[in-house]
Amino acid sequence: MLPIISLGCLTPHALSPTLSLSITKPPYNTPLPPLLYSTNPKHNPTNTHNLSMAVSGFEGFEKRLELQFSSHDPVTGIGLRQLDFKSLEQVLHQVQCTVVSALGNQHFDSYVLSESSLFVYPTKIIIKTCGTTQLLKSVQPFINHARTLNLHIIALRYTRGSFIFPQAQPYPHTSFHEEIVYLEDSIPHHLCYRKASVIPSKLTSHSWHVFSAGAVEYPDDVPYTVEVCMTDLDQTLARKFFRHPNDGKNGDSAGREMTGLTGINRINPNAQICDFAFEPCGYSMNGLDRDCYSTIHVTPEHGFSYASFECLGSMYNDMADMVKKAVKVFGPATVSVATTNASDDVCMRIKGAVEQLGMKCRSCSMDVVPAAGMVVFQTFTTRRKRI
Amino acid sequence: MGEEGQLISCHTVDAWNQHIRKDNNKLIVVDFAASWCGPCRVIAPFVAELAKKMPHVTFLKVDVDELKEIASDWGVEAMPTFLLLKDEKTVAKVVGAKKEELQQTIIKHSGSTSG
Repeated sequence: MLPIISLGCLTPHALSPTLSLSITKPPYNTPLPPLLYSTNPKHNPTNTHNLSMAVSGFEGFEKRLELQFSSHDPVTGIGLRQLDFKSLEQVLHQVQCTVVSALGNQHFDSYVLSESSLFVYPTKIIIKTCGTTQLLKSVQPFINHARTLNLHIIALRYTRGSFIFPQAQPYPHTSFHEEIVYLEDSIPHHLCYRKASVIPSKLTSHSWHVFSAGAVEYPDDVPYTVEVCMTDLDQTLARKFFRHPNDGKNGDSAGREMTGLTGINRINPNAQICDFAFEPCGYSMNGLDRDCYSTIHVTPEHGFSYASFECLGSMYNDMADMVKKAVKVFGPATVSVATTNASDDVCMRIKGAVEQLGMKCRSCSMDVVPAAGMVVFQTFTTRRKRI
Repeated sequence: MGEEGQLISCHTVDAWNQHIRKDNNKLIVVDFAASWCGPCRVIAPFVAELAKKMPHVTFLKVDVDELKEIASDWGVEAMPTFLLLKDEKTVAKVVGAKKEELQQTIIKHSGSTSG
């Protein structure tokens, strides 16, 4: 068992919700890969002239935020789905991203953003953004908009892997410490059960960062989530996510083609897919299967290639099988899988499935966080790779 | 008829049947939407604009709760779903609030270059 760097745990007996931050600083300062070009402007429209971007590439690793709300009213109805588009756009503007595509079903709305995805359920918001977006700036606006619908926040969870280019990140994402301070200032006092944790692996470049806060320490009925991060993608497979010049297609049709050609549509054949292909490269998709979302994002450029697969677990889907199919699409050299509130069985099955692809599990570490449960972080590399 | 350039809402099965059986060789674009669906709201203004700009195309709007059976009969599983019909047959389908795809697909099937 690898040592967990726990940044403090809070109970309601504390006088005020403060978090002590005596930690061993995680090894963020990994050497930058030898790159001297910045990537496509479409991928990161707000930051092409940033000096730090000139010595880095596009940051594929996402920041993920999940906000859980509760209604004062006896009947919640469609809850947050009532939020008008103008309000959503306002929040997204603060995070520096826009909607490029969208699709909904009877359970939730999904939006493909210029920098990842947004899911809106009646009482839950999940927003995941990459690049140099200031995701945490959406916390207060979302809480405020929800309040206008008589919904109050009861839990918040923020997760991310380790940035490939941490120096390129703006405030408040310059360090996990800074993110925690910002979050603590943004959330109401009644979310009194709080914990921040950095879950390590044997790879200095791969740690899992979690901040969880809730009004209840052990809530019932928390569905499990799986977040897969893949780096060093197989170049032949990654090439499929580049647009062809003069293909006569638009982002929607090119996205649909990529979904079919790469086999992404076969990961969950029951899901409705909303996809988009960026120029000159990059791809995003949201999957809708009953009340379960799934989402894939690809940064295919060599030197900082990255792909993510995330899915909500349910009794209807075979998570291990989906993870295996997703990893196969990209042929990465390194895979990390973070599960939240998943059973041991699910974690073992996922491990087995990834190993079936010829990868070796290098680490498995875990920590329990309030309002979300057990977080398990596993890393895998191809057998050739030395640590 | 005063309907050209407008998005016609079908509230009954009869209205639906009446509109799709119109024998005037026009391309019919059906917007299957739901009042509780955010993505439908995202693209609604754009669809209204298209209807205005393309009077040679018939634009129908169907609320999937109001006309559940029709939505189900025509295979609508997520919203918004746009079906392009000719002679009561589906010639194309766009699933999702996809502006470019919708516009280009309509132009392709309407036999015009305007839009």
